Amino acid sequence: MRDYIVSAASQINAGGGSNGFNPTNLGVSDFSLVATTLDTNNAYKFMSGIEGMDRFGTGPVRSAYFMLSSTELQSDFDSLVGSGFLSQWNYPTNASALPSEYGSVYNIRILTSSEAPVARNAVANSSGTLNDVYYNTVLGKQAITHINQDGYSMNLIYRDPYYSGMLAQNATLAVKFAQAQAITQDTAIRNLLSTRLSNLGV
Amino acid sequence: MAEYSRMAKGSFTASATTAVVQLPFKPDFVELLNYTNIAAGSGTNKTTRAWWDASLVVSSNNPTMIELYGAGGSVLFDVVAGSAAAPGISAFSAGQLLQFGPSKQIVASTKGATTSFQVTSHGYAAGDVVIFEGLYQSATTGMPQMAGIPFTVATVTDANNFVVNWNSNNSSYTNLSASPTGSTVKKVLYPYLYFPGTSVISAITTGATTTIDTTSAHNFVVGQEVAFRIPSQWGTVELNTLPNLTIPGSPIYGYVVSVTDFNTFVVSINSTSYTAFTTAIAVSAVNGLSFPQVVAVGDVNTGGVAISSGSALYPPPQYTPIGTAGVNTINGPAIKGAFVNNTAQGFVIGNGAATTNTSAAIMAANDVIEWRAYLHDYSSP
Repeated sequence: MRDYIVSAASQINAGGGSNGFNPTNLGVSDFSLVATTLDTNNAYKFMSGIEGMDRFGTGPVRSAYFMLSSTELQSDFDSLVGSGFLSQWNYPTNASALPSEYGSVYNIRILTSSEAPVARNAVANSSGTLNDVYYNTVLGKQAITHINQDGYSMNLIYRDPYYSGMLAQNATLAVKFAQAQAITQDTAIRNLLSTRLSNLGV
Repeated sequence: MAEYSRMAKGSFTASATTAVVQLPFKPDFVELLNYTNIAAGSGTNKTTRAWWDASLVVSSNNPTMIELYGAGGSVLFDVVAGSAAAPGISAFSAGQLLQFGPSKQIVASTKGATTSFQVTSHGYAAGDVVIFEGLYQSATTGMPQMAGIPFTVATVTDANNFVVNWNSNNSSYTNLSASPTGSTVKKVLYPYLYFPGTSVISAITTGATTTIDTTSAHNFVVGQEVAFRIPSQWGTVELNTLPNLTIPGSPIYGYVVSVTDFNTFVVSINSTSYTAFTTAIAVSAVNGLSFPQVVAVGDVNTGGVAISSGSALYPPPQYTPIGTAGVNTINGPAIKGAFVNNTAQGFVIGNGAATTNTSAAIMAANDVIEWRAYLHDYSSP
């Protein structure tokens, strides 16, 4: 599904950053632009907002779309603290936060994963310096689905070692399914492409 | 053999001196018999058998060993080096995200109605998809507007020059020269992993219907519903798929009414009074520039269309990398509403010459080839 979305959903290049690449690093205006685009297209938001509470260091969270991003961009998000980024730990309550949720900017809540798609050294600036391009997928509730073929749903298969090999050395654990992916509403999804501001630090 | 090993065999009659064999796995050992040459019984520099092992690396190359007839019916052994100049058998896996070939320095470019690039020994063929990086001559000049867009190589002028379909014939573009730093091009090894997908628009002809040119193959078919994302710098914003003011909640879409070729199609939208499309974007506006795109809405894959009336069979979905001839994917019938996964894996038979007997190659057109491919559970090293 991830790779299919990269290939089939339309793209917006980030322009709100200042690093001199196209796309730029993420700026808060990019979040605002994408959310505005999805709102204009009548996309459904995933999450309702979180009302503000009388707790130090917290702030209310807007109703939001989800954005799937790379963990490598977390330091870039941290650099937006004070400019619009709210860490998950600064939510009034993180009861509704997902385990992979890093924070939010305006109407977008950010989930990070090391498995998010990255194109390495994909752009060069006018000095010839290379940067990676990140595919940050922002989606509304009705954007994507998968189709089970002929009602053939997912099977979890486990065979213990006794049945998987004569010497009982290897077990088998697998998931089997016949599915196709589909973008159900193309106006409710955007790939927000960005580069990175900070060093990778690996 | 343990349970995770894979074995496959097959045969084919070669249509050229190279061949691609798709498999449900990426083999680590391949052997093949050239039955045509074996049956002939003799023949100078005629390969009878070839075998390749992924773990055998010599001078950074992965050679293919061959057995061949020499003069007077003698049997010889030789090697096809497996280098770029002498490709032998090799395995491939298209994967699920784009993979790229090596970045090559752009020496120069020439702007025009189409844009020509000079790259020393580029090695590209018409139909290949390439992506440019940089394209700055200086901080304020060059062709960086084209960087990051996938382009089909439209014409190969010679070994060092090729042409892509992009109108750079305006003052916003300046020719590149003297190998500018950071200006490179790389080949997309396995494009169109999923289709129909997003295509970048290179030209729009407005009128009673609207003709769209794309930078690489669009892979649309007649009846395909499409949406447009055209940032204001590119002109024809009236095509954008925005909420319809006449029918609230219904986005504005178009339908493909004819497909001219791999990168041109006609949409059922009357754009007579629309703003003209332009590629004249200033270099200073490149940072944050989004590209004009056309997007498949749902899909109309060939799946679901019977081969002939009454037939229970369906053709595999096809893609069209260049020209008008479709190429089959390995898929069976597709589900309407879904997109086609076009990834593949298997092995390639190259046309490199043998190292010692330099007139020998693995096969020639019309040779009958019997092959076997293996993926082993365990390999040391």
